[in-house]
Amino acid sequence: MKKLLALSIFLLMLLFLAACGGEDTLSNDDNANDEDTKENSGEDNGGWTPSESIEMVAPAGAGGGWDTTARMSAQALTEESMIDQDMGVVNKEGAGGAIGWAYMAEQEGSNHDLFVSSSPILLVPLNGQSEYGHEDFTPIANVIADYGAFAVAEDAKWDNLNELFEDMKEDPQSVTIVGTSAPGSMDHIQFVRFAKAAGVDITKIKYVSAPDAGGVTQVLNGSADVFSTGVAEVAEQVRADKLKVLAVTSEERLDGEVLSTFPTAKEQGIDETFVNWRGFFGPKDMDPAAVEYYENKFKELSDSEAFADVRSNYGWNEMYMGSEEYKQFLDEEKENLKSILEELGLLE
Amino acid sequence: MGAIEGILTGFEVAFSWEGILFVLLGVFVGTFIGMLPGLGPISAIAIMIPITYGMDPTLALVMMAGVYYGAVFGGSTSSILLNAPGISGTVASSFDGYPMAQQGKAGKALAIAAISSFAGGTISVVLLMIFAPMLASVAISFGPPAYFALMLLGLTAIASLSEGSTIKALISAVVGFMIATIGIDPQTGTGRFTFGSMNLLDGIDFLVIALGLFAIAEVCYLVMNRHKSSAGSGKEIGSLKLSKDDAKEMSGPVGRQSLLGFILGILPGAGATIASFISYIAEKRIAKKPEEFGKGSVKGLAAPEASNNAATSGAFVPLLSLGIPGSGTTAVMLGAFLVLGLEPGPMLMGDHPEVFWGIIASMYIGNIFLLVLNLPLIPYIARILTIPRPLLISLVLMFSLIGVYAISFSVFDLYLLLAFGVIGFLMRMFAFPAPPFILAFILGGMMEQSFRQSMTISNGSISIMFENNISLVLIILSVLSFSFPIAKSIWSKKKVS
Repeated sequence: MKKLLALSIFLLMLLFLAACGGEDTLSNDDNANDEDTKENSGEDNGGWTPSESIEMVAPAGAGGGWDTTARMSAQALTEESMIDQDMGVVNKEGAGGAIGWAYMAEQEGSNHDLFVSSSPILLVPLNGQSEYGHEDFTPIANVIADYGAFAVAEDAKWDNLNELFEDMKEDPQSVTIVGTSAPGSMDHIQFVRFAKAAGVDITKIKYVSAPDAGGVTQVLNGSADVFSTGVAEVAEQVRADKLKVLAVTSEERLDGEVLSTFPTAKEQGIDETFVNWRGFFGPKDMDPAAVEYYENKFKELSDSEAFADVRSNYGWNEMYMGSEEYKQFLDEEKENLKSILEELGLLE
Repeated sequence: MGAIEGILTGFEVAFSWEGILFVLLGVFVGTFIGMLPGLGPISAIAIMIPITYGMDPTLALVMMAGVYYGAVFGGSTSSILLNAPGISGTVASSFDGYPMAQQGKAGKALAIAAISSFAGGTISVVLLMIFAPMLASVAISFGPPAYFALMLLGLTAIASLSEGSTIKALISAVVGFMIATIGIDPQTGTGRFTFGSMNLLDGIDFLVIALGLFAIAEVCYLVMNRHKSSAGSGKEIGSLKLSKDDAKEMSGPVGRQSLLGFILGILPGAGATIASFISYIAEKRIAKKPEEFGKGSVKGLAAPEASNNAATSGAFVPLLSLGIPGSGTTAVMLGAFLVLGLEPGPMLMGDHPEVFWGIIASMYIGNIFLLVLNLPLIPYIARILTIPRPLLISLVLMFSLIGVYAISFSVFDLYLLLAFGVIGFLMRMFAFPAPPFILAFILGGMMEQSFRQSMTISNGSISIMFENNISLVLIILSVLSFSFPIAKSIWSKKKVS
């Protein structure tokens, strides 16, 4: 009996360890495809090809935007045999990404480590909460764009962005903005950018951070007035006539039955846009040949049908930028954000 | 499309053989994950998402829901047997479950937990089925002032949560509050009390504290008192059978706390953990013999167990009827909806009745499966207590360490776990109760945030707390709850004289 018990405990432990380790390898079962694809590899890229399995870091916990992007991309890349090495997704969660970035900084020079990031890699260092920013890594390719939306309750007195901003110019304190993340991060800054373009005194804007989906709740029950968030977060609420969207942050109207009814700020005369881009980075000093290899693979991914499905499921938009263009874009974006944070007194 | 028709569609899906298979799979994985300290439903469901890609969405979601409530069901096992909570929603179950197991009644404790969980789960599914569409408005009725008042009400019970010195209970609670302020403050975006360490920017995970204060502290205690024969090895498991008296004692708390747990579960952000604590406190408050709580009371175990399972069903109200995820686990499930090509939101019930009602209907079967799976296993699982104490202690230690590492994959958290273990042990030595610490920690964070949100919204005027009916009622209840024990003691003194 005792032996049996010891054995079952041992098995239990083994299972547990397997469950923990399960996060690290996503696609061991894809080895079967290897033989078909070996011939293809190396053809389209005379230079560098990966010689071992690739680690893809999501600097966040399971289930969020970065994690989903990492998992879905890794799955598409291996299942569609674009890359014939295993790609394991690893979650390095914590401190709004800073834990993951610190981990990636240690991988300097590696050609088999990638990670996903978006606007926080610019904002978090500016807020003084990460030692590392995009300058400390190698931007490889951007693949996705998300846009923000400013939503109010269906029965709110404002019907467009100008009416809201007129009220805010008169008394900025009379309106409460709610977002999921803290002041100085995306939800806050995207609203501030548009308010500034419209001439509102941005230092007096009242912003509340409500995690755990509190934002939509607070606008629905009237505790707060404006919900600053991603377009995908509000589309269904608009369809159900609970919220209305005053503006989206994109350059042009978005595609989709509901999404296309959202006016842009631009068409309302406020010349500003905000994109929550999302893409892939490698560690510092990655071999330029490897960068080129991945750049091409992500281009292939971005153009693939499999990834188009993923995009449409999540309501993401296509936005491809290669390494050089991406780097330049990031530098400019950071300068812009820096000046806003400075004005708000949030720059560290 | 009538609701009845929808419900029938739901049952059709849930009772198809695939439906039954996936529910079974879900609850099995869930129970297992729940029993292991640390590893919770969030990571399990997140791992499942890519696997379910391309599957029939209803079946995939039925399975994921099964993992969720299965984990809450199974989480009590390790709380009761090892004092090491399997998931955060079952911390309160160890208050009375562990003492009961130590008294040689492990079988009974597990049976009470299983039956209370089953009852809580089933009662709440009935409520969910009948009221889900109507309850959507409840889910969004709480603004920041109401949340603040709710947390305040929970906190008024700190002194009554433990026996002995009130001052020590209050000191313990204040320390819990202080620990809750560590990390990035959401209202300003600045780090507090992090001492420049990146590891502390996210604050300290609840499970690290719970495992430290309970499991590791218990391990220290057992090691220090290894020559006393009373605790540890050679334990009797005792009979599974509940006497008529037990059943009678359970029925009250189970009925009341299933309802309370369900309502708290509906509120985004509250969830199973807070529900189980508030139910425990509420039941202790109205008990005829509150002194039995914490020493292996049947009521003290049945209340949180019914409540946390009911809260889990409650959490599906905002998720399914509004597309609002109220907790980490439901947020991950929301992601799963998207991957499977569904738009969770207020239109889900109309657009995809088979998904909406299928998930709800599957919970009936899931709860029955959980009971059938768990009850016969109790004698075998409980036998873990018969292993020699040195081996048992190392097992608890190992599971706690792996469990914490599985939350964040951070070695720093392991040091924190050990630090809280030592703190917990010292607290025990000097008779500082741990439950107020834990309660202040879980309520404190949310209380502070909702207070500050309220103050921002009202431009700093405290009157916002009394303008809203819900918060007003809750504040009045808090005052009553606070003054009731004082009034009672004055009254009983008068009676004696």
